[in-house]
Amino acid sequence: MEMGITLNGVTKVFGAQAAVQDINLEIPTGDFVALLGPSGSGKTTLLRMIAGLEGLDKGKIFFNGVDYSAKTVKERKVGFVFQHYALFKHMTIFENVAFGLKVKPRKWRPSKKEIREKVFELLRLVQLEHVADRYPSQLSGGQRQRIALARALAVEPEVLLLDEPFGALDAKVRQELRHWLRDIHQKLNITTVFVTHDQEEALEMADTVVVMNHGRIEQIGSPQEVYEKPANAFVYSFLGRVNEFRGAALLNVSDKEEAVGYIRPHEILLSKIPKRYSVAAEVSHVHAVGSTVRAVLRRLDTNDFFEVEVALDLYRTLDQFTKGALLYAEFTNIIVFKEKEKLGRSMIVEKVTGEAFSALS
Amino acid sequence: METSNLVEVTSTRVRNFMLAPIRKWLLIGVALSFLGIFIFIPLLAVFSEALKKGIGLYFAAIIEPDALAAIKLTLLTALIAVPVNTLFGVIAAWGITKFNFKGKNMLITLIDLPFAVSPVIAGLVFVLLFGTSGVLGPLLEANNMKIIFAVPGIVIATLFITFPFVVRELIPIMQEQGSEEEQAALTLGASSWQMFFRVTLPNIKWGLLYGIILCNARAMGEFGAVSVVSGHIRGLTNTVPLHVEILYNEYNFAAAFAVASLLALLAIVTLVFKSIVEWKTKRNDHGER
Amino acid sequence: MFKHSKRHRVLPGFGLSMGYTVIYLSLMILIPIAVLFLKATTISWVEFWETVTDERVVASYKLTFYTSFIAAIVNAIFGTLIAWVLVRYNFFGKKFVDALVDLPFAMPTAVAGIALTTIYAPNGWIGQYFAQLGVKISYTQYGIMIALTFIGLPFVVRSVQPVLQDLDQQYEEAAATLGAHSGQIFFKIIFPAIFPAILTGFALAFARALGEYGSVVFISGNMPMKTEIVPLLIITKLEQYNYGGAAAIAAVMLVFSFILLFLINFWQWKTAKKHQMT
Repeated sequence: MEMGITLNGVTKVFGAQAAVQDINLEIPTGDFVALLGPSGSGKTTLLRMIAGLEGLDKGKIFFNGVDYSAKTVKERKVGFVFQHYALFKHMTIFENVAFGLKVKPRKWRPSKKEIREKVFELLRLVQLEHVADRYPSQLSGGQRQRIALARALAVEPEVLLLDEPFGALDAKVRQELRHWLRDIHQKLNITTVFVTHDQEEALEMADTVVVMNHGRIEQIGSPQEVYEKPANAFVYSFLGRVNEFRGAALLNVSDKEEAVGYIRPHEILLSKIPKRYSVAAEVSHVHAVGSTVRAVLRRLDTNDFFEVEVALDLYRTLDQFTKGALLYAEFTNIIVFKEKEKLGRSMIVEKVTGEAFSALS
Repeated sequence: METSNLVEVTSTRVRNFMLAPIRKWLLIGVALSFLGIFIFIPLLAVFSEALKKGIGLYFAAIIEPDALAAIKLTLLTALIAVPVNTLFGVIAAWGITKFNFKGKNMLITLIDLPFAVSPVIAGLVFVLLFGTSGVLGPLLEANNMKIIFAVPGIVIATLFITFPFVVRELIPIMQEQGSEEEQAALTLGASSWQMFFRVTLPNIKWGLLYGIILCNARAMGEFGAVSVVSGHIRGLTNTVPLHVEILYNEYNFAAAFAVASLLALLAIVTLVFKSIVEWKTKRNDHGER
Repeated sequence: MFKHSKRHRVLPGFGLSMGYTVIYLSLMILIPIAVLFLKATTISWVEFWETVTDERVVASYKLTFYTSFIAAIVNAIFGTLIAWVLVRYNFFGKKFVDALVDLPFAMPTAVAGIALTTIYAPNGWIGQYFAQLGVKISYTQYGIMIALTFIGLPFVVRSVQPVLQDLDQQYEEAAATLGAHSGQIFFKIIFPAIFPAILTGFALAFARALGEYGSVVFISGNMPMKTEIVPLLIITKLEQYNYGGAAAIAAVMLVFSFILLFLINFWQWKTAKKHQMT
């Protein structure tokens, strides 16, 4: 019998549309999982189904091997952190965190003193002891998020679920909280599932990334796996910046009609002189702030625009090119996917190097 | 080109600047005059007429037995109608705002019906239902029960009239608040009652209070519907507004206005309460973000 | 495809609250109103037609609609003006004035009725000046209009006020920078934005006026054919034990009111939807 959370053919239909379709997923105890996908991919619905905040239309959910599908929210004892925190406006921070302890049935309810100790222990954990007597409206977004987490942890849940935990925060606070949440997970080792649409966040924080699209799972794997061995075109393009080529731009590929080629901007090599498999291109825009330089170039043969990323020192060796300059681009690691007719999904057919383009240069 | 444009803009600004105060005070003057004539003077008139014949007569009119009986009946009616419709309002608003279901808009419209029904027709409806020649008339008579021209009729008519007040106050508030806090309470292990009393109720308390105040004002002040079902039996089925009518129709104006001034005071208290509630909720909103 | 029949609801109490709501609504409101329509059909069609087309009844319908309409128009104009003044200007006593607007909601209608009658009587505070001009207000149509204006005023103010409050002044400023003068700004920018609210307020005031009894009955004088409103006529029929006739007149009135209510709700629902989209 599997420990942790097991989802078995889980399906949810809203109206005529399946929001979540036939999901099978194993989450081992102590794992830190990211549900990653664009908006409308069903990731939040899936998270809410695990919490019991959304019903199942089909399938089963097991917690530690026990069928939890029909259990109520209250019975599941999960910690849930809402995207907009859902702190109780009319209670102080202390009362918010203490809520889960105070509503316990009398025989299990800790004494006032124990509740107080527990709340302050949690407030110390989230480094917000000093705001205990304030109201949620008096806190910043990042502070509210930390309190929401402390509140969820107060009931000592076996599973912690977070819905877009940093979605409403600005970039700087978001960065800080990522590290902090990782630390907390390491300290407490609670099975944690969080939802995000930010691939950087998922890759940086999670042990396991579940990439979702249109209510289905596209790929499950460690951050390295999904980034380096994407299962399909969607995963590849969702996990980072990509250039997309179709049709005539792809040579040496059979069935050009259904094939799509992708390459990441940093995988394109630029040089001042033509190489064996290179293509001539004109620089149309340069963005040279920071350690890497981003540029947009136009292929002279097909007139396709593509994005390139080069390190600063390489940029210097290329004479710090500006708009209008002529350069030669080598597409070293292009991945070609073939679209599967019905599902609109794709699979890798071949991985090609520069030759794919050679005849055109 | 650019400078001439600038000059033009500046001159318009100057003109607006000159005109604005005049226009402002003109508009304020018209608005205040209108409110003064239509609302403030009538209010003033009630108290002025009530005290015209001296303070002694004023109190005499109020503590006279028939007046006291009317006050008692009005309080009794409100004491029944307000809690019943408050309970309904909270339960109905919960069902309407926290769940999605077909026909929600239809249900809200049906709840609004009493607003669209003339008070007189509301009274008539119950006469047709419970009156001697009404649908249930024979049945009531056989059991020796009297609803029309008796206290139960007054209470039922008031229930009908004040039916939507609380629920209509609560629906927009609860709709705006959504149900995330309730969901959070459930994930933290709260039972249904704990969720309702510790999270929902504190969040809607000011709106609920306001609804109750409005409901009460209407319950105590209702005239048309109650007038139809009461039968105007002095000392028995007269509410305060009906008592005012009788005194007025007997040309006992000073007494009529004396009793009416009690209802006017109730209206003032209602408005003061309303301002306090609005001030409280506004303060809460500001604290929000 | 197999489908689970039982819908999962996270929050508790759906069945209980809906059951209670529907039962109470039916017992208290729907069944009694249905009885009225039932009663109206107990008299024959000819009788029904004769009742509702009787000269005196038609005169009262006309009077009720006419006076309600005039009052609602007056309220639409002055209510909008008052809302404007309350939202856009600051002046001493504004809070007090704002609270006073709701007085017609809070004041029992009978009290308003006798107060207005006294003020506008030929020897009253205001009535005496009109009397000098030879104009009678109390006990005429004008009196009815005054009472209905009093009753309906808050509806327009309270419909327009929040919309005006939420109106972003950026649009006006943008129009001003584009060279529009204040008249153009009002009629091209502000008025279209608050018009739906004015219309809603107008309709609510109108609907309320159609059924109003307490404040009108004292000031109207109740002269058949001249100043007799529909609710009063219904009471007269009742006092003559003509239940069928009363029900018939009321049924016609109710149908009008319901149509109005549905139009208002539909209109509000539509504008709310439009708001969400932008």
